[in-house]
Amino acid sequence: MRQRSDAELVTQARCGDREAFGELVKRYQRAAYSVALSVTGKHQDAEDAAQESFMVALQRLDDCRNADRFAGWLLAIVRNRSRNLIRRENLRSGDEIPASASSSGPGPDRMADISALRGRLKEALSTLTEVQREIVLLHDLEGWKHDEISERIGIPSGTVRSHLHFARKALRARLAGWKDHT
Amino acid sequence: MEDNDRVTALEVLDPGHERPGYWGRFRTRILKNAAFELARRREVARVSVAAVLSGWSRSLIPVAAAAALIASIMIANEARQQAEPAPRLVLEDMLGGALGASSFQAALGAGVQPNTAAFMTFVEEDNR
Repeated sequence: MRQRSDAELVTQARCGDREAFGELVKRYQRAAYSVALSVTGKHQDAEDAAQESFMVALQRLDDCRNADRFAGWLLAIVRNRSRNLIRRENLRSGDEIPASASSSGPGPDRMADISALRGRLKEALSTLTEVQREIVLLHDLEGWKHDEISERIGIPSGTVRSHLHFARKALRARLAGWKDHT
Repeated sequence: MEDNDRVTALEVLDPGHERPGYWGRFRTRILKNAAFELARRREVARVSVAAVLSGWSRSLIPVAAAAALIASIMIANEARQQAEPAPRLVLEDMLGGALGASSFQAALGAGVQPNTAAFMTFVEEDNR
């Protein structure tokens, strides 16, 4: 079955098609979360910002003039919502990604390792600029290609590559020796 | 730490990494919150379609009525013409009328049999 384009889904969602809007959410929820995380640096805030952004996007869907560029438009909303969230709220404490409630999840030792790694990653990511965090998360976590990132966040592909290069270099320096400690 | 290790390491920042079904629940929450807005949009779309049809009908109905009236008049005229066929004018009748067949017979006189010579004589005299 042919995958519907963003433009088709946006057109249908404008008419209240739940399935079309659900497909847009499915397609971009991870990217929205990554962008929100790159701004807020906190799981709970990133989750809230990403979810609110989808609601705002739905309410303002008629303002999305170029439906083919829905992703870039959505990510701009996510960025703004995340910044507003930081600005207006006293950031909550205890925002770490909660441990899995699943009994089939990793054991205590593994959880400790994951928690340590997460802490190191967040610390390392916090040394990057916001755009570097966004690019490295979209590229390395979400698997978006340079051109996709370029098109969707509206910066030249060469700049994306450059940001990614420096972001990786900084992360490498910060995380050097992590394996030796674990 | 190599690039590939770091990519794997970044996965721990994905909330779905340790919690199966996280993204499904994430989407469900959004759709639940979006239910009212989606319903409103469906209603707006439905009303818009009705309004468009209504707008069309305002201009289309008078035009359609006028077209139907004109068509009915034309059909009625056609039917009337078919009911009263025009008298058929036969070529022979027209020729006969033009030549005045009765005057030829009168010129010959009663009791004279018409023949070719008499006819030629009649025509030559008529031309003079």
